[in-house]
Amino acid sequence: MSAALRLDGVGFSYGAVAALCDVSFDVAAGERVALLGRNGAGKTTLVRLVAGLLHPNAGTVWVGDWDTGGRAPEELARRVGSLFQHADQQLFARTVREDVSFGPRALGLPAHEVRRRTEEALEALALGGHATQHPYDLPPALRKLAALAGALALEPIVLVLDEPTAGLDRALRAQVADALREHAERGAALLVVTHDLAFAAETLDRGIVLDGGRLAYDEPLAALLTSAERLKPLGLVPPTVAALSVALDLPGRPVRERDAAHTLARVAGGGPGL
Amino acid sequence: MRTLHPFTLLAVAAALPALAWILPAPGGGLATLLVALSLTLTPGASPGPAGTGISRSWRPGLVVFRTALFTAAPFWLFLLLLHDVRTTVAIGLRISTMVASFVWLAAVLAPDRLVEATVARGWSVTAAYLFAATLSAVPVLKARARRIVEAQRCRGLSPRGSVANRFRALRALALPLVLSALHEVDERTLALESRGLVSGARRTSLAPPPDRVVERVVRWGLLLLCLAALVRRLA
Repeated sequence: MSAALRLDGVGFSYGAVAALCDVSFDVAAGERVALLGRNGAGKTTLVRLVAGLLHPNAGTVWVGDWDTGGRAPEELARRVGSLFQHADQQLFARTVREDVSFGPRALGLPAHEVRRRTEEALEALALGGHATQHPYDLPPALRKLAALAGALALEPIVLVLDEPTAGLDRALRAQVADALREHAERGAALLVVTHDLAFAAETLDRGIVLDGGRLAYDEPLAALLTSAERLKPLGLVPPTVAALSVALDLPGRPVRERDAAHTLARVAGGGPGL
Repeated sequence: MRTLHPFTLLAVAAALPALAWILPAPGGGLATLLVALSLTLTPGASPGPAGTGISRSWRPGLVVFRTALFTAAPFWLFLLLLHDVRTTVAIGLRISTMVASFVWLAAVLAPDRLVEATVARGWSVTAAYLFAATLSAVPVLKARARRIVEAQRCRGLSPRGSVANRFRALRALALPLVLSALHEVDERTLALESRGLVSGARRTSLAPPPDRVVERVVRWGLLLLCLAALVRRLA
């Protein structure tokens, strides 16, 4: 698979304060990556670099074959879909549908393409029933979903999401997880900043951990989440399923609920239970 | 400057424009403007660590000074269109003093200290909060506006190009700011009421800003100076 996103020795400083130092990694098309680390580790800075809102002081950020260094965020929007914290504050159209279609329209896509992308994004997040409502008539959690739908409607090759599940209940988190998996299957590379390790375990495959602006770990997420001794110094706690999996010494150390249930059933001698 | 009592800062910011209008033009206006502009260069009137105009970090120190000049500049243009040069200079100096004083005040006056000071003085906390909230809303809205601009640019909106382009972009930038601010009013109101902030209630001040004798003397002195100048001018 070709790299949809590549960071090549990237460094960034806010004045004299270094936020990122010599960070390098690739994310392939269709790959689902969790970007983890304690507050202040440089995660949001990295997201802003990928979105083109910041430009690196050192190294290069590549989106496909585009060097983000010389490009404005509105140009990168053709390839990068972003969701930031406080995303619900960006909504402004009279209806949710109109707001979701804002991105594709801003890119100058044909009307039929705008309609297709909008409807698919609404459907992916089960927002069809709210499409004609004013965004501010929705509860905050659904406003966040509407903002995410706006990013999905861009159909980018890279999706960078900063805390997409903050404030969402279990059902909405599952909705987001399904939508992200679907977009990854279609070839979008996902880079998700999250403190919600249970969501990360269920949705993402690879874990990249930043610590003090440097790359601390880059490995399969399951291996990372079942290693409490490495997570603890980074201010991270393994999700319940991963902790249970380790405590029971389950074969393969599953971190997803469904996988753990299957393994437990198998260990108990009853075959697949779900 | 930030350590001065909020009432002292208010008194200085009010006295300078008052004197600018009371004292004869153009000398009075020029003198008050020079004082006001000097204040914008003082430590504590800038976001930099040492905001003096002559310190090593003089560039951040000029932010408040520059803001005052840029805000006052359009008034000069309008005045010049409406009046002759002599009147423009007379009124322009006075208006510039008002602008520079306000910009300086906004830079140095911490809203929470003002609330504490008014509460300690026994004033209505509602009025104090209203005034402080207005002042503190500026940086909050500024930060939010920046977030909105960034989010919309990441959705493909270009705020550059022709005037028509910029005007079209304005809706996507201004509306979310206004809508989210209005939407927040409900939440803020509930949060305040649920914590007992009701009209007429007396609030305890935990850390009233120290009000030194010398500052009280300065405040009364400024009031007397304004009155004396007014009497002399009218006599």
